[in-house]
Amino acid sequence: MRVEERLYTLRYKRDEKPHLEIKDQANCAKCYDTYKSPCITVCPANVYSFTEGKIVISYENCLECGACKIVCPFNNIIWRYPRYGLGISLRYG
Amino acid sequence: MKFDAVVIGAGPAGSASAYTMAKAGYKVLMIEKGSEPGAKNVSGAMIREAVISKVFETKDLPFERIVKRVRLIFKTRENETEISVKPKDKLYTIARLKFDKWLAQKAEGAGAVLITKTTVTGIEGQKVITERGEIEAGKIVIAEGANALLSMSLGLRRELRSEETVLGIKEVYASTRDEVAKRFGLQGDEGESWRIITDYPLPSAGFIYTYKDAVAIGIGAKVDEITQRDIRPFELLDTFKEPYSELIKGFSLREYSAKIIPENGFPSFKPCEGSIYVVGDALGLVDPLTFDGIGPAVISGHLAGKAESCNAYSNSLYEASEILKVMRSRPLTRELLKGDNLSLYIHLVTDFSLSWAEGDLSKLKYYKNSLGTILKHLLLGLEVVQ
Repeated sequence: MRVEERLYTLRYKRDEKPHLEIKDQANCAKCYDTYKSPCITVCPANVYSFTEGKIVISYENCLECGACKIVCPFNNIIWRYPRYGLGISLRYG
Repeated sequence: MKFDAVVIGAGPAGSASAYTMAKAGYKVLMIEKGSEPGAKNVSGAMIREAVISKVFETKDLPFERIVKRVRLIFKTRENETEISVKPKDKLYTIARLKFDKWLAQKAEGAGAVLITKTTVTGIEGQKVITERGEIEAGKIVIAEGANALLSMSLGLRRELRSEETVLGIKEVYASTRDEVAKRFGLQGDEGESWRIITDYPLPSAGFIYTYKDAVAIGIGAKVDEITQRDIRPFELLDTFKEPYSELIKGFSLREYSAKIIPENGFPSFKPCEGSIYVVGDALGLVDPLTFDGIGPAVISGHLAGKAESCNAYSNSLYEASEILKVMRSRPLTRELLKGDNLSLYIHLVTDFSLSWAEGDLSKLKYYKNSLGTILKHLLLGLEVVQ
């Protein structure tokens, strides 16, 4: 089953302000070459992708687990909680 | 505005803390970042009634099913051995949204005020800062969960390392109550809980829980194993699920979720400073052997609510059996997951059962060299049960 099909089951309300940000894209380029970007591997929701020399963040798909921040070799991810009850809302949990 | 206490997070730890303080007559505010309590929370999940009832009246607890059988399955790529246990304790499967709402309602019933859809962005002195404004508090309880941004920003703890963190992912498949009962051979409210320990494709612990009209299926693996072996979490789940596809055939996927599980914490993480207290997952209080975090969360929340001082809270954590169990399980779990140890045990269990069934125990001689390791683990294991 594709990740997208899994994500379709979820209720999200998008916070206009991204709750995930990259501190320094230069480190991401270095990380992609050296460590194969562990944030891409560990993310269960395909939030991270590497295109045209940069990490692109689809933060609106985030399951808010926090694994990406832990694996980042450069401590390069700014992680905030979404505001105003936005982001994911689980039914079972 | 000023409250006697502000509790950040309306999960099990937060609600237990708010409930305890409100019952003691304190003016308590509970702030939840999700749309409602439980909306951001993920567990398998199974709870022990005996632990929850230490803090809450459990007569109307919204359980899914009463666990009549726990199946522990050791699985190699080729073989598996199953141990089936009838639990003596009362175990329930629960769905977090319903359960967490129920806990928060208990706190509200005792007089605590709950506001949802509000994120705490910082703490300055005795001031709790949110995107909607600031609140002053005599006592602050941080029950923010495993991704503990506030506790870390205050320097009460550090970030988890990838080798001490498990990533759990989970799917819920829904059908009808009758169909779930039929597939698992259950009567009435009866339920089952399965734990599957495997070393393929990497050391991991899977679970299957029966809900009323649904089945929860998921797996947890160490974050460093996932990145080192370059396996995506959902690929791991798909590999794990494959042998169980008949169980959920025709059911529809209702939810996909993920959570980090801390395998380190108190006492390495500070439980409090001044009048700021940290409880539950934020303090790393998850039993790494059983993955039980809800029990220790409720107990630690209750203790922080009761404590008159930081010192008293810290001491009470050392005296609580649920917290001691977590601390004692960690060295054994670390050992079991080191190198090929987990593989060794899974193969030992499956080979032993197979040899026994085939009436030829000679295969077990290959384990002679591992005797030292096995003895060491046995001793560590004794420390867990002591």
